[in-house]
Amino acid sequence: MSALSFDRVTVRYGRVTVVDDVSLTVPDGEVVGLVGESGSGKSTLARAAVGLVAPASGAITLGGEPVPTRGRHRPVQMVFQDPYSSLDPRMSIGEIVAEALPRGGSRAERRAEVARLLELVHLDPTRAGALPARLSGGQRQRVALARALAARPEVVVADEITSALDVSIQGAVLNLVRELQRELGLSMLFISHNLAVVRYVASRVAVMQGGRIVEEGPTAQVLAEPAHDYTRELLAAVPGRNAP
Amino acid sequence: MTDAAVPTAVPTAGTDAPGGRWRGLLTSPVGVAASVLLLAVLVLALVGPTVWGARADAVDTSDLLAGPSSAHWAGTDNLGRDILARVLVATRLSVALSLLAITLAVVVGLVLGSLPFLLGGGRLARLVTAGVGVAVAFPGLLLALFFAVVFGVGATGAVLAIGFAGAPVFARLTQTLVAGVAARDYVAAAQVAGVGRLRVLLRHVLPNVAEPLVVNAAIGAGSALLSFSGLSFLGLGVQSPSYDWGRLLFDGIGVIYVNPAAALAPGLAVLLAGLAFNLFGESIAKTLGVPVVAGALRVPTRRSAAPGAAAAPTPAAAPGDDDLVLDVRDLEVSFAGPHGPVRAVRGVSFGVRRGEAVGIVGESGSGKSMTALAVSQLTGDDARVEASRLQVLGADLRAPAGPQVRRLLGTSLAMVFQDPMTSFNPTRRIGRQLAEVATTHLGMGRREALDRAADRLGSVRIDDPQRRVRQHPHEFSGGMRQRAMIGMGLMGQPALVVADEPTTALDVTVQQQVLDLLADVRAADDVALVLISHDVTVVGEVCDRVLVMYAGRVVEDLPASQLSTAAQHPYTRALVAAVPSMDTDLDRPLATIPGRPVDPAHVPDGCAYAARCPLATERCRVEDPELVTSATGGRVACWHAGEPLPATAVPAAEHDTLVEAP
Amino acid sequence: MSTTASSVAAATDPASDPATVPSYAGPRVTHRPWLRFAARRAGRLLVSLWVLVTASFAMIHLIPGDPVRAALGPTAPAELVAARREALGLEDPLLVQYAHYLQGLVTGDLGTSLGSQLPVTDIVAQRLPATLSLALLAFLLAAALAVPIGVATGVLTRRGHGRRTELAFTTGSVVVATIPDFLLGVVLVYVFGVELGWLPVAGNDGASSYVLPVLALAVGPAAILARIVRVEMVGVLEADFVRTARAKRLPAWRVHLGHALPNALTASLTLGGLLLSSLVAGTVLVENVFAWPGLGSTIVSSILTKDYPVVQAVVLVYGLGVLLTNTLVDVALALLDPRSMIRED
Repeated sequence: MSALSFDRVTVRYGRVTVVDDVSLTVPDGEVVGLVGESGSGKSTLARAAVGLVAPASGAITLGGEPVPTRGRHRPVQMVFQDPYSSLDPRMSIGEIVAEALPRGGSRAERRAEVARLLELVHLDPTRAGALPARLSGGQRQRVALARALAARPEVVVADEITSALDVSIQGAVLNLVRELQRELGLSMLFISHNLAVVRYVASRVAVMQGGRIVEEGPTAQVLAEPAHDYTRELLAAVPGRNAP
Repeated sequence: MTDAAVPTAVPTAGTDAPGGRWRGLLTSPVGVAASVLLLAVLVLALVGPTVWGARADAVDTSDLLAGPSSAHWAGTDNLGRDILARVLVATRLSVALSLLAITLAVVVGLVLGSLPFLLGGGRLARLVTAGVGVAVAFPGLLLALFFAVVFGVGATGAVLAIGFAGAPVFARLTQTLVAGVAARDYVAAAQVAGVGRLRVLLRHVLPNVAEPLVVNAAIGAGSALLSFSGLSFLGLGVQSPSYDWGRLLFDGIGVIYVNPAAALAPGLAVLLAGLAFNLFGESIAKTLGVPVVAGALRVPTRRSAAPGAAAAPTPAAAPGDDDLVLDVRDLEVSFAGPHGPVRAVRGVSFGVRRGEAVGIVGESGSGKSMTALAVSQLTGDDARVEASRLQVLGADLRAPAGPQVRRLLGTSLAMVFQDPMTSFNPTRRIGRQLAEVATTHLGMGRREALDRAADRLGSVRIDDPQRRVRQHPHEFSGGMRQRAMIGMGLMGQPALVVADEPTTALDVTVQQQVLDLLADVRAADDVALVLISHDVTVVGEVCDRVLVMYAGRVVEDLPASQLSTAAQHPYTRALVAAVPSMDTDLDRPLATIPGRPVDPAHVPDGCAYAARCPLATERCRVEDPELVTSATGGRVACWHAGEPLPATAVPAAEHDTLVEAP
Repeated sequence: MSTTASSVAAATDPASDPATVPSYAGPRVTHRPWLRFAARRAGRLLVSLWVLVTASFAMIHLIPGDPVRAALGPTAPAELVAARREALGLEDPLLVQYAHYLQGLVTGDLGTSLGSQLPVTDIVAQRLPATLSLALLAFLLAAALAVPIGVATGVLTRRGHGRRTELAFTTGSVVVATIPDFLLGVVLVYVFGVELGWLPVAGNDGASSYVLPVLALAVGPAAILARIVRVEMVGVLEADFVRTARAKRLPAWRVHLGHALPNALTASLTLGGLLLSSLVAGTVLVENVFAWPGLGSTIVSSILTKDYPVVQAVVLVYGLGVLLTNTLVDVALALLDPRSMIRED
């Protein structure tokens, strides 16, 4: 496991600069939260990390080496926001997870590995033949997590993975994230617009606005003593702060 | 040249096992008829020449250009050959050539359409896309003529011509479909996992676009047939001595004054075969694309254990009904679903007083949005709304609104919907849309109404309202549009605002602005508010009173201040506990609720929450509790209201059961 | 073969779909959107024009064998063939021929007919008005029929209503749309010419000659267009902004005609434009049925007699008509729905 580093990364869509000179590090074994509102560029940064979009300038490295964006070995994996579009509706969940496994191994070995991964995310391995349509949103996100883990990643990028879930189910996925981080020493870039959620899972937090990182530091510190106006604004806007 | 029927929109990602839906094809009368006809055409193509070949070639010089008779049902041609026999024999050539042409079109189109995806963007991909874009602008017949010139007249040339002429349309269709699927996250996930583009195309993309392509190919086959006949009719297709239907038409029209049947017979054949393909394609489209909805709406109303009329649950509002802006009793909303009636709201009663803010909170399937829409008569014609009382500002809304009620509602009831991006008419200026309220209900002139609109925009803190009034909705940001919606509600004198998830689609900072605005509106004129949200914290912050809904019923009605301290229903307590806040204990797992929200199409007997409730007993699973006054003065529907919960339910490595998809 | 209206799904350009470009805070408004739109559209027109011109030029040269020999026949003396080739400039290198071709287009010289030795420009100029009038009248008739029927049926078959009407309408429109224009023409010739003798069925003798060809040309596209309008109308009636209009308690006619209809029409306009282009092409067939003295009959006879300069010119004219129609449609769309200007290519 190594540290994921964004070094002065800039991403453009056409003429618009969506990520502007961002430098950020996800230390080995830690969960770093990335908060921001729409248009902040946080999702684009995530996509750049996994190679779905190419930076116009700057470098994204893992343990000093550039993150591979082609080929089978992809140490940075991603879990997406929408549980209803992140699983191919025509493949069974076993096949979905298996597709991400590295090449090699007999069929029995691969099947066993898929079972292990499903267990890891608290899904019944005997149901590996089920189609996604039969799963709830929370269960689908767990399959997506299993798929991300199947590729033996060093860093997992989670892009708003609980935003589309019902409140009563959100907790299960967040608990799972904490558990995986504890058991596997998983490094994670956890993106969310919800400060309370980020506070729960991340040890460090970075705040993004307009394509730039405006503040970064240990979660407790940033939330207790925000240094930047925008962070203060975000904190003030969290519902429940002014509860009667 | 008529290019035939319209292909349907792309169906949403299949939720069913693909095989099962094809059987639906045979249940519609049109589908059956089309299938039979198509089968007949194909059989005829196969056996035609064998059965009637001799007869078709038999020259009879004694009987040239004769009209229909018992010996020759469609008469004879200029060589005395039987026309009907020739029409039947021509089936093979007509159908075979058309199928060849459409296959060529589909294959070339598929390749060209998949290329941009395979090439992963970049200059070559853009070139291909642009090329297809240019080619698609030209009608097929024009392209066919072009290729006919290049490839020469005759059957081969015609096949090539029609094939290549049809390719751009299929290429464009494939491109659009592929782009649609490629934008989905599961394709991105496969790429991130390192799966190569070709494999992604074959494994993920094409199977998910196969259905609309097949439909269009079937309809395309029909078009190819018609186009081929057209080319042959012009003399550019099949040449003598071969003959297809088009060629026979070409011969026939020359003698139409002598023997009309010579032209009408092949014409009829073309029509029937074309119809066979097109209707078949249409039927497949209907089967695959559009979910089948049950016929007439017949919803049996289910009464809970205690008879509803006799033991009327205590309404929350104090007596003094003229104080109630909204009075709802026993509201039921249901609509037809694929497996029987879906009961979205199963008996909801509440009241809202003037100036009061009531929040309705619930998760998916709770029925909260349907309740909001039902009380404003906006559910749509396929939903069935019933209530023993439904009064808004004194007007009975159980019947369709007459002009007076409409004016009342139009001026005193303001609605704010969830998605600000789609709530305004995109082709009209904002000012006009606001002014419409005043011109329709307040009798204002256009100038006056527009001025008022600008004034309202200012009052909701939109800067530069005079300029903004003339802008279109797409020039407003999301938060501004929500504020404009509120402004629209302020065009009259609202006594009640019903806001359905007004801030869900907005950023947190903007959310705060909109909620503040709503609070100001309330304070200014004693305006009542019904706020629907899935976010219990927001509701707790904004509202005086909260209704918690689960599976179509109100399970608790309590003051907002008691949400975290004195909630009685286990679901309310679990809901409040499950939301992470800035004070959540970081050392313990988050509270969750096992299982998942109830599907409105499959509501269980008894208390709907029993399956997930730590306090559930046998009685809960059998008897649905009524909403009664609770120990703390609100209302609650629970057999175990207020009982202490067992020690924190930490879900161990539970294996979630997979529920059968509806 | 292409189904024009099968460009329903195909008509939306995937590259310009805003959903594929991520959104960012703030509305996507460029300064002076009209100017950027006009520039983009003009650029696209020029490129398409160039492709058309080059294609029509290349068409002749793609034909295997010698076009002049093919036109004059196998028995023509070799010197005549050679002389004709020289006269047509076919001995020059390809690029030089291309340059001459372009030059000729700019000056209005479309060459000489191989068959009649007349200047092609004259032939085209003489026959173009007949085709144009036919296509235009057919389009107007199709629109006049389709839009009211489509809108009315759309309202009748909105969600929760008229399922039987929908079935009947859909099946009916498929059946009518399947009837090819030339076949309908033949039937009309038979019924009104042969049997009843009420209307002229050949040539252009005045107003009454227009009736049957226009009818034959317009009916199929009318059915397709009505269908499109209905589908769009039904879709629009489900839109959020229509619900907003209902929430404002506007009278039903206001909601349907004032809010739903304009949006349904703009959506139908793209496909309607394609339909118009297909009408232009449909004239080829219908003119042959009714011996109409337009470009349609010319092109067919020219292809059969291998009179390539004429073919070339007519293809060019038709193509130009199509491109202009598309541009007009885009402009109309931009006027009606300002958002369409902003979508980037």
